[in-house]
Order: sequence, then C-alpha cells, then structure tokens
Amino acid sequence: MSPHSVTFLTVLVLSILIVVWIDRLLRPGLRGVLEQIVALPAATEFYLRAFATVITFVALAAVMGTHPDLKDGARFMEYVWVVAARLQEVFQNLLVVLLVYVGLITVLMAALRRKQ
Amino acid sequence: MSNERYLIVSYFLVALVSLCLGLAVYRVLRAPFAAVAEAAAGKLRSGVLSRAFGVCMTLAAVLGFLSVSYTERGCMNYEAVVKNRDYLVQVNEKQLQRTADWIVAAVFLWCFVVLFCLIALRSVQANHPDRT
Repeated sequence: MSPHSVTFLTVLVLSILIVVWIDRLLRPGLRGVLEQIVALPAATEFYLRAFATVITFVALAAVMGTHPDLKDGARFMEYVWVVAARLQEVFQNLLVVLLVYVGLITVLMAALRRKQ
Repeated sequence: MSNERYLIVSYFLVALVSLCLGLAVYRVLRAPFAAVAEAAAGKLRSGVLSRAFGVCMTLAAVLGFLSVSYTERGCMNYEAVVKNRDYLVQVNEKQLQRTADWIVAAVFLWCFVVLFCLIALRSVQANHPDRT
C-alpha cells in the first residue's frame, strides 16, 4: 500500500468518526430547537437530514483536497504530519459549515418567531 | 493499465460517481422536502418545486465535476496530462471535491427555499386560522 493510500484511508476513517460524533452530539438538541421553531415534522426532518448531508460532504471534500506528497520509506512522524494537515482542513471546513448552519437556524428563528 | 486508459476509465467513472452523489442527496432529502412544499404551496406547485429540487441537485453535482480542467484551462497539452499518473489521480480527487462543494452549496440554497415555504405557510395560517 502506498503512503498516499495509507494517509488517505486514515484521514477518511477519522473524518467519518468525527462526522458521526458531531451528528450524534448535536442532533437531539437541534431536533428540539427545530421542532419548537418550525412546528412541522417534515421541515424538522428536512433540516436534520440537510445537516447530516452537509457535514458529511464537507468532510469528504476536505479529505479529497490538496495534500502534501509522501515518499516511499517515510518515517512515522511524517505520516502523522500529513494526517494532521489533512485533518486541519476537515476541521476548518466543518467549522465554517457549522457557522453557516447556525446562521441559517438564527434566520429561521427570527423569521418564524416574528410570524407566530 | 496505461495512463491513457486510466484517464478514460477514471473520467467516466468519476462522472458517474458525481452524478450518483447528486441523486443520492436528492433521494435523502426528497420526501421531507416534498411534504414541506405540499403543505406550503399545494399539490400542483409542490410537484414543480420537487422536480426543480431534483434538477438542481443533479446539476450541482455535474457542475462540480465539470468545473475541473485537466489541461489547466489550456495551459497543458494532452501529452503532458497523460504522462503523469499522480496528476491524473489528483484531478480525480479534485473533481470529487468540487462535486461535494457544489452539493453542499445547493443544499444550503434549498434550506432557504424551505425557509420561504415555511414563512408562506405561516402567513396563510395567520390569514386563515381554520386552514391548519
């Protein structure tokens, strides 16, 4: 297995774990907030599925992104640095998307609370 | 497998994967979106909205795939592209990355469409409290 494949698979597995963890952490609270704001189960379901889709795809996009090359016979710490560099991009993209989603929920709250 | 063969196979394979990603996201979000659209806009217009949603997701995925240029927008010739296998793999990864980026953008756009549907629904309910 080439160094590129090793780092790619490691980052892919770690990213999937991170996405699952974020989803499990935020979903119950998000569901409660959305149920209170939108009062329409289909809309709640849509926003929850959109959230899961968005964080999954943004993590995948970061994993597929630019990467430093590793030569054959690279040392252990060189692998660690490459994995860390890729994970940094995953976290960065996830943070941006979470902020956009928070903005969306805030707009949702402001717009729908005013109508109630 | 020669680089040229790899280029041909990977190009069409990644195109298919991109298209499938767009369709998969559409399938995941279709049912709740259709229910919201139907509640807000009625059965007839919700059909149009649902179809527009499907078209938008598919186009976003295809657009992401097509937005990557093998020749760096004409800066490289075909021989230079085919010579390097690592470059071909990198371009494939970039195509998938752009596909994912465009799908995320499209999902966010449709989140705002759902928001407008909900606002319209609330307005209708406020004007006609008997229609809940």
